Amino acid sequence: MKIYQVAYKNLLRKKVRTGLTLLGIALSAWVLVSLFGFNRGYERALNRDIDNMGFQVLVTAKGCPYEAATLMLKGGTGLRYMNDSIVVDVLKHPEVEKITPMLMAAIFDPNKGESGGISAFLGVDPATYPAMKSYLKFTQGAWFADPDATEAVLGYEAAELEQREIGDKLLIPEKNVELRVVGVLSRTGTQDDGTIFVPLRTIQKVFEQEGKLTAIGIKVKKEANITLVEQKLYDLPDVQVVSLAQVKETIMSLISTAKMMVFSIALIAILIAMLGVVNTILMSVFERFQEIGIIKSIGAMPWDVFKLIWVETIILCLLGGGLGIGFSFILSKITETLVRSLLPYTPTGSLVVISSGLGLLTMAMVLGIGIISGLYPAWRAARVRPLESIRREGE
Amino acid sequence: MSKPRLLGKIIFAWAMFGLIMAPLSAAVGCDLNDPDRDVKRLFPESTGYKTLYVSIDQKGGAGLLREVEARLGDRFQGLYETVDVPYTMYQIFRGKELIGYIHGVNQKGRYGGIQVFLALDLEGTIRAFYFQKLTSQYAKSLRDAKFGEQFVGLNLKDFYGYNVISHQAAPGSRVAGIQNPAPEAESDFRAALRATKKNLILVDEFLLGNRHLTYLQKG
Repeated sequence: MKIYQVAYKNLLRKKVRTGLTLLGIALSAWVLVSLFGFNRGYERALNRDIDNMGFQVLVTAKGCPYEAATLMLKGGTGLRYMNDSIVVDVLKHPEVEKITPMLMAAIFDPNKGESGGISAFLGVDPATYPAMKSYLKFTQGAWFADPDATEAVLGYEAAELEQREIGDKLLIPEKNVELRVVGVLSRTGTQDDGTIFVPLRTIQKVFEQEGKLTAIGIKVKKEANITLVEQKLYDLPDVQVVSLAQVKETIMSLISTAKMMVFSIALIAILIAMLGVVNTILMSVFERFQEIGIIKSIGAMPWDVFKLIWVETIILCLLGGGLGIGFSFILSKITETLVRSLLPYTPTGSLVVISSGLGLLTMAMVLGIGIISGLYPAWRAARVRPLESIRREGE
Repeated sequence: MSKPRLLGKIIFAWAMFGLIMAPLSAAVGCDLNDPDRDVKRLFPESTGYKTLYVSIDQKGGAGLLREVEARLGDRFQGLYETVDVPYTMYQIFRGKELIGYIHGVNQKGRYGGIQVFLALDLEGTIRAFYFQKLTSQYAKSLRDAKFGEQFVGLNLKDFYGYNVISHQAAPGSRVAGIQNPAPEAESDFRAALRATKKNLILVDEFLLGNRHLTYLQKG
């Protein structure tokens, strides 16, 4: 009989104790894999969301942000505007690869819902916006070709809510302007899904904001330093500059604090599991004191006993780790739902990305813990003196 | 950069790209805007309600869809009137006693999605009709309580006689007597009638055990 079989059978002698220890290790491994998966998934999802915006820097009129939020509550009033001449100033910067001007217009629709609601329209430039957001695909139709057309392209959810298809009409409330739907975008999982896009010049005309913009999206050249570009743009009069890379950094730094706390808890869980393993194996060694003595008296060397106990620990950790990694794969969706419910902001897409590589890494860590945890009990077992142990039995 | 300024930027970025779009990004299901308030308004005597989520796909698939379409007298249309649309049905209780139902459906209107809600008694008779969502220049007329009152007391038997394609109601029927308060919004008026018929069929199918199906078969 091989040493592994002996070790395995020894573990089965105390099924409940072995089972509980396994569960402890499994839970720790599950937490560890899920945390690693979250660490990787969250950053990836956030990057994707920001990349999907198509631009890294946004220039808006000074003071606009706070009114923009209030706008939703106050029925379409309070947006701040910039003159579209600013586009020329922005384009003077050599780091700027391309830009797209936008005008957000919002209007209170008294017939929306029972007590009214805001209808928002995003005026975009047909010449630059589609190129900036080349990842947008259409379920039906295409972008408007004419910059003055009274046409609209709807994000998937906006179209779903308004039950619109190409050829249907859409009404700008209060202005009584009819728009013809020329395109419905495929679902992207981003804010674009809820957007109604209208040609920029049309929106400027309908809302009497000719020559005005609420934002300019800027794509910076790959080799350019975004922070430097941001600083230069701040020199423009009466504008506010938002770097989405910076927003990402800030969100990541806020999240990293939360992650550190969770990692600390995971570390404690691992330590507890480790102590549980040491305790289980040590108890097993003490219970088998006489048995170990007999094994040694019939010729087993201390190294043989050491190996036997060590292998028991390693088997326990491998089984527990495997179980925990299995849990993390099976329950990843539940973990994700839990994370989403706990965090104030979560990007779209998969938040917990668990791969086989991650599973292997965790298994290696659990194995390492097993090897370390098994050292002391194995050493104690190897030091058992045959005569002393047999004498104890006599007592 | 100071923390308040950074925080301001974050608020701005997500307000601009997220919040501002929030009112438009609701799911396609037709739920009451504020169930607690709406249930109490439609059933003042109620003490509670239970929400059920059902879909044709879940309850019978393509076969059930054909049956519903046959009862409606029209095919389900377009990208959004599909077999997997989730319907939210509210069972209304006074204590432990079931006293009625509330159900809303989405319907394609001239300028946008229309949401038609019905409050029904246990027999499936309409006790209240209203538009939860409607985009139209004539929304005021259509939302007027007098328009909704024309539906009170009607049930699916009355609507079986209404052809949703030709828009003809059986002569002398109570549905034929429903007046459009805004002739310019004829398409939205017709959409409201189709939505009401569809709504009543779905309630009959999912909540009333097809109480009114035999009437159609006999007819």
